[in-house]
Amino acid sequence: MKKTVDVSIPLGPMHPCWKEPVRLKCETAGERVLHTEVELGYMKKGIERIMRGRPWQEVMFLAERVCGICSVVHNMVFIETMEEISDIAVPPRAAYLRVVANELDRIASHLIANFSYCYTIEHETLAMYLLNTRERVLDNLERITGSRINTAYMIPGGVRFDLLPEDAAVMLADLAKVEDELKRYVRIFETGPLIGLRSKGIGFMSREDAIRAHTVGPTARASGVEDCDLRLRHPTYQALDFKQITRTEGDNFARVMVRFQEVFQSIDLIRKCVDTLPDGPIRGGGLCRAGEASYAGEAPRGELTYTIKTDEYGRVVDIAIRTPSIMNIEACAHYMVVDATSIADVTSTFISSDPCIACNER
Amino acid sequence: MRSIVYYVREFLRPEWLKKFFFVKTAPLVTPPYFKGYPTRTEKECTGCFTCMMICPAPDAIAVLRRKEQWEPEVYPGHCIRCGLCVEACPEGVLSSGRVLELAGRDATAFWHSYHLEVDESLCMRCGNCCVACPINRQIDPRLAATGTSTSDDVIMRVKGGRVQILHEEKCTGCKTCETQCPSGAMRVARMVEGVQFLDEVGS
Ligand code: SF4
Ligand code: SF4
Ligand code: SF4
Repeated sequence: MKKTVDVSIPLGPMHPCWKEPVRLKCETAGERVLHTEVELGYMKKGIERIMRGRPWQEVMFLAERVCGICSVVHNMVFIETMEEISDIAVPPRAAYLRVVANELDRIASHLIANFSYCYTIEHETLAMYLLNTRERVLDNLERITGSRINTAYMIPGGVRFDLLPEDAAVMLADLAKVEDELKRYVRIFETGPLIGLRSKGIGFMSREDAIRAHTVGPTARASGVEDCDLRLRHPTYQALDFKQITRTEGDNFARVMVRFQEVFQSIDLIRKCVDTLPDGPIRGGGLCRAGEASYAGEAPRGELTYTIKTDEYGRVVDIAIRTPSIMNIEACAHYMVVDATSIADVTSTFISSDPCIACNER
Repeated sequence: MRSIVYYVREFLRPEWLKKFFFVKTAPLVTPPYFKGYPTRTEKECTGCFTCMMICPAPDAIAVLRRKEQWEPEVYPGHCIRCGLCVEACPEGVLSSGRVLELAGRDATAFWHSYHLEVDESLCMRCGNCCVACPINRQIDPRLAATGTSTSDDVIMRVKGGRVQILHEEKCTGCKTCETQCPSGAMRVARMVEGVQFLDEVGS
């Protein structure tokens, strides 16, 4: 039977639930969504173009401005790409400190993603709780790096600042509080009947679809895709005995829960890092040289790849950044929201895939 | 009427009025770990331009000559508070929040040098770069007047129809030559490396 389109409903580019401008065009029959199209391009920054021809010292700061939520990982992947090009070794202490900063950033990113999901399904109380908890995490990021968002914590061959024992103690105490609070919120999220009605079984994407759509990050992991966490291949994480978190439900609920579980895992990782922090220097040194490399790391939303070509003096001749969200957004439009029962479910499903437009349209 | 009286009475409640006029909120304090804008300390600036050269933001910091002494000036509208200048200054002229002082304590620093490049295909041999360079003019004052130099100590000079770079290591990285070059042939590359002098802290 051929379905006929009643009306085409545009969602966005400005939508109260969306952090950034993007437009979804939903073709509907009644309230049922038949087909969705994504329209990007409302906030193109042209940041890759600005980076070209600049010395790495400047590009480093531009790189972390690609995304305002997961800026630490952009910093980290850029620096690790430069290290790969120039064969610079990182002292073990610095490698562990990088993991600490990166995981704090991941917690902050996941909490804001879950905040927006709760906000979208109109559980404002839980949303505000999560945002409050996130502040605590950002305060700690500031305590160890000096800034809340754009930290510029890493440089080729190490990190900028050392972690003092007293700071580490305050951070661990704070993270224990965060963990307690989050346990409560996760219980609310798991057992709340209305939350369940709006999330369980909604926006389902099977494992095959997730693989076909090349989804990455928590979105893929919530559909049961194995081996898709690039941290598994990172030497420091391997030393910390990292295992990826996977769920099989593949719906909105699973995506949010994967993020919650990853927050707990990140807290554990930070604890492990601080406990086993090796002594030694935090900066090794080494000059950036000519070369070309492509390197991928795991951002909170999935695989993040930098491809950089430098000249003899460490100036960036060419750079291409591939950020995770684009595949998740496409997968959302093609697989998750198809046959969504209402427009409200389209909104919440879209948010559950944690779209980041800022890094998408860099 | 009764309700008006009620509202007036409500509004004129002494405890409410007291709270309204004498409310005490917690004072806004800047946390010590905040990486604030760089500020100047008592120490004397030698005008080495290291801070200017390492600063990633355009026009955020300028080292100005004021009454017989150099002074770094930070323009807060451009500064991105990265703190690199604080860390890079060899004299400790600049200071900022606690995390940046930490860098001084564990002896982490930047080692840097500059490299000069002239693109022969673009260069018109005008000599602007050699004349504009403040170090050049200090070494050979005659250069500023005549445009050429016979001294072998200068950073660069025009000789034999091309720009000769003689003493790259004297360059302070001020980029004056780069900005003065009319054809964009001159490039100053900075080579920066973060290092930690562990033997100095003794660990
Ligand atoms: S803090 Fe950073 S941006 Fe500001 S003046 Fe210093 S180097 Fe430049
Ligand atoms: S950057 Fe150019 S003008 Fe400045 S000191 Fe070096 S050579 Fe001279
Ligand atoms: S200023 Fe430029 S064009 Fe003139 S001599 Fe120097 S490099 Fe060549």
